[in-house]
Amino acid sequence: MNSRTSERPVEIVMIEDDDGHARLIEKNIRRAGVNNPITPFKNGTDGINYLFGADGSGLTSKGKPLLVLLDLNLPDMTGVEILGRIKSNEHMKRVPVVVLTTTDDALEIQRCYDLGCNVYITKPVNYENFANAIRQLGLFFSVIQVPSPE
Amino acid sequence: MKLALPRWRFLNLQTLLLGAGFLLLVGIGAATIYLVERAASDSRELAVTLSIEDKLSDILLTVRRAESSQRGYLLTNDSTYLEDFRGAEPEAQETIAELRGLSEASATRASTLDRVATLVDGKFREMRRIVELNEAGQRDEALAQVREGEGRRIMVKLRDVIEEAVEAEGELATVRAETSRRTNTRLLIVTLVGTALIIGIGAISIMLVQRNYRRAEIARQELAGTNANLERIVEYRTADLTEANEEIQRFAYIVSHDLRSPLVNVMGFTSELEALRQDIFAELERLRAEVAALKNEADTAIEEDRSAQLGRDFDEAVGFIKTSIANMDRLINAVLRLSREGRRQFNPETVDMNALIGGIIETVSHRASELQATLRVDALPPVETDLLAAQQIFGNLIDNALKYGRHDEKLQIDIRGRLTATHAIYDVQDNGRGIDPADFQRVFELFRRAGKQDRPGEGIGLAHVRALVRRMGGTMGLNSEPGKGSTFTVTLPRRWTGDKRSAV
Repeated sequence: MNSRTSERPVEIVMIEDDDGHARLIEKNIRRAGVNNPITPFKNGTDGINYLFGADGSGLTSKGKPLLVLLDLNLPDMTGVEILGRIKSNEHMKRVPVVVLTTTDDALEIQRCYDLGCNVYITKPVNYENFANAIRQLGLFFSVIQVPSPE
Repeated sequence: MKLALPRWRFLNLQTLLLGAGFLLLVGIGAATIYLVERAASDSRELAVTLSIEDKLSDILLTVRRAESSQRGYLLTNDSTYLEDFRGAEPEAQETIAELRGLSEASATRASTLDRVATLVDGKFREMRRIVELNEAGQRDEALAQVREGEGRRIMVKLRDVIEEAVEAEGELATVRAETSRRTNTRLLIVTLVGTALIIGIGAISIMLVQRNYRRAEIARQELAGTNANLERIVEYRTADLTEANEEIQRFAYIVSHDLRSPLVNVMGFTSELEALRQDIFAELERLRAEVAALKNEADTAIEEDRSAQLGRDFDEAVGFIKTSIANMDRLINAVLRLSREGRRQFNPETVDMNALIGGIIETVSHRASELQATLRVDALPPVETDLLAAQQIFGNLIDNALKYGRHDEKLQIDIRGRLTATHAIYDVQDNGRGIDPADFQRVFELFRRAGKQDRPGEGIGLAHVRALVRRMGGTMGLNSEPGKGSTFTVTLPRRWTGDKRSAV
């Protein structure tokens, strides 16, 4: 993601409670040749605090080129809630959110898109497919344009 | 329920009142008939009395007339006077005969009449004798007879007897009139009292019925209250059950999801291991080459064998891990699918089963022709149910029928349907390998299969079918004979009774 639109490279914020998944995702993103910084969080609360700052206003993320990788099944809250908060926040609503989760329930998928998620990917158990999906995602990251910070 | 008058007592009282009213009516009727009859007989008697009085006076008159015409004849010797005289006796006799008819019933009257008849006979005899004497020319003798006064005595007696009788009849008439009056008064009293009683009974009856109706109304309201309560209880129970079911569904769903997560890792890192294998063994090879260079060349063959063995063992282990993961993934996916089916909303509609089965047969027609199987479908009755669920049910059953054929027999699948008052029943019958009766329950269980395991499958289809049929308010039946074929019977309610929301 050698973003030509911004000074700084886009930061990938990954909220994923499973260490293994986080590691596999990171490995495969790197294999796709994406070298952007990845900031991992193991639970929703930490992720929210990082994204919205201590006061929860989201000002900290204002002007930061971000991309959020979000798992839905977190120990302390559902990813849907985080997605809703990001998309309803004045400073962050344009941040691309990629939901990457084991859930393939049609209703859940619908709900995420309704809330404004940009991409929804189901983690396949079959590793071939999994690795493939993440690599594709990496390619996608390398061509995606994130909105330039105001 | 506080009822002062229990139902049986009320009924008894009511019956009693009705019975009493009826008896009263009968009584009044009987009394009226009796009294009217009495009044009629009284007036008949009165008429008889009057008639007797009349006729007695007639007799007296006739005898007097006879006497005066006889006297006239005696005075004038004119025989024209005798015409009247001669006509008088038969007339008198006739009147007496009439009186006999009237007096038959009464001994008093009969004896009076006997006396009257005797006297009349005597008088006429006396008069005839005098007339005969006169006609014979013995006028003096005849006159002497008259003077002798026997005729007058008879007359006086006759008059006395008749007057007495008339008086007696008069008294009788007075008595009769009195009786008649009394009878009429009684009739009136009976009628009035009876009517009053009946009105009374009617009033009591109405009161009772009203009271009972009020009680029934109260009871009905209480019952309605109880019913409402019962319905509430049923609602609670159903809600509980539904909740429990949803709980199970959620549980299955969550468990399968959460099981998936570690599986992704196991699979992922196993693959990573495989990728590492190349590097490890390349490294081994390099080291071996270095060692070989340092030592003499003789041992390298053994080393090579050993490293090939290591590679094989490694591959075998990884292979087992991967197969197991694939299996586990399949199972988890099956549970997920089932739980998702359990949570799916049903949309009941009237389903044209002929079209539905036709569609399924079209999709399997290629397979069927490869197997040289024939599918026969009767005209099937429609049913109100969920279209998608019905498709899954019959798709699964037909798929199974195609899957488990026999080698020595061309496959033949029959699909039949019939209606009962409340249900639509469909049979899917094949002449395939059949199922052992011991396995009838087992084939419907998740991940369980029966018979020779020579066909691909997870053991999910029938479990899924049964879960769906149950959720649709129906039942699933199976009849089979090993080596002869199986019949799967789906019974669905004709009108949708299932839950629209989720599994029950």
